[in-house]
Amino acid sequence: MDPVLTALAAFIMLTALLGIWRIERGPTGADRMLAAMLFGTTGVALALVLAEAVGRGGLRDAALVFALLGALTAVAFVKRAWGAGD
Amino acid sequence: MMTLTSLRRFLVRWIVIAAVWWIISEGDGSSLWLGALVALAAAALSMSLRPDGIPGLSPLGALRFAGYFLVNSVLGGVDVAMRALKPSMPIDPRFVSYPLRLTDVSARVLFANTLSLLPGTLSAQLSGDTLVVHALDCSGDVIGEIAQVEERVAGVFGIALAEASGGAV
Amino acid sequence: MPSLELTVRALEYAFYAAGAFFFLAGSVGLVRFPDVYTRLHALTKSDNLGLGLVCVGLAVRSGSAIIALKLLVIWLLVLVAGATACYLVAEAARSAGVKPWTREAQR
Repeated sequence: MDPVLTALAAFIMLTALLGIWRIERGPTGADRMLAAMLFGTTGVALALVLAEAVGRGGLRDAALVFALLGALTAVAFVKRAWGAGD
Repeated sequence: MMTLTSLRRFLVRWIVIAAVWWIISEGDGSSLWLGALVALAAAALSMSLRPDGIPGLSPLGALRFAGYFLVNSVLGGVDVAMRALKPSMPIDPRFVSYPLRLTDVSARVLFANTLSLLPGTLSAQLSGDTLVVHALDCSGDVIGEIAQVEERVAGVFGIALAEASGGAV
Repeated sequence: MPSLELTVRALEYAFYAAGAFFFLAGSVGLVRFPDVYTRLHALTKSDNLGLGLVCVGLAVRSGSAIIALKLLVIWLLVLVAGATACYLVAEAARSAGVKPWTREAQR
């Protein structure tokens, strides 16, 4: 396993963790939604890097699913969680 | 009744969707028959949703736009990254109202989404013929820049736009 | 021959470093920027560029055209999903009356 890929995965994970600070602070629901969007993008990157690091191509399909779910969460947030749509 | 044009359109969509399946399966031939079936169903669905396709869409125009988008989305990332990291945080944000010249729905969606990835602009609301854009730094000619992007998008669909009429801050 | 291999490896790592930089910048923007709209700028543009750069590095590493194409498909999907999500959240925030931060209001 290439230590550079491991380091890259760890670094991306750390940048994602900064999102927790935003969830804690808010102040609005939309701000917290931003952290969810951040986890979506970093999740895709993590899955892709790990797919190469551990040699499991299936993780690339997981990345694809993360990408799709990212779009759905935003729709769900607007329609349901925040109730601003209706 | 299926005319010859719509039959051709249907076949093109089937092939494109099947190609995407093939890419996603990473070239695994063993699932290609299933992919061909799913792609067939997807192509049929897409024909019932948009039988006419997107009028005026040209492959060359789309390719030219892809190049323009690639370069400018990189600039967009660099621009916002610098503003976020500089200790002085040089931002002067504002909402601007932009009167749309594009009328086609597909073109408007592409325009709004493109703006959000280019330097300093973010689409925030589309109501009637006005697009509300959040500008990260209103010191420059934001409206002029938005108008340029709109012209690029119009080029993809082979649409000619009227002279820019300007917007309001 | 080893020197070419080394060059390709260096290129791959350079893309990772650049990608990591934009992921960091996106998160810093999310923390530092003053309101939801400016934070959206940081997230949509910086993180998507970071992902794109990491994908280019991974494509170089895989040395396979089909995997490179798949990475491109995934990146494009994230771009479309990200831009759409960005619009939806911005519009929801505006409809809910979230006030935008301005420089004058700070003086």
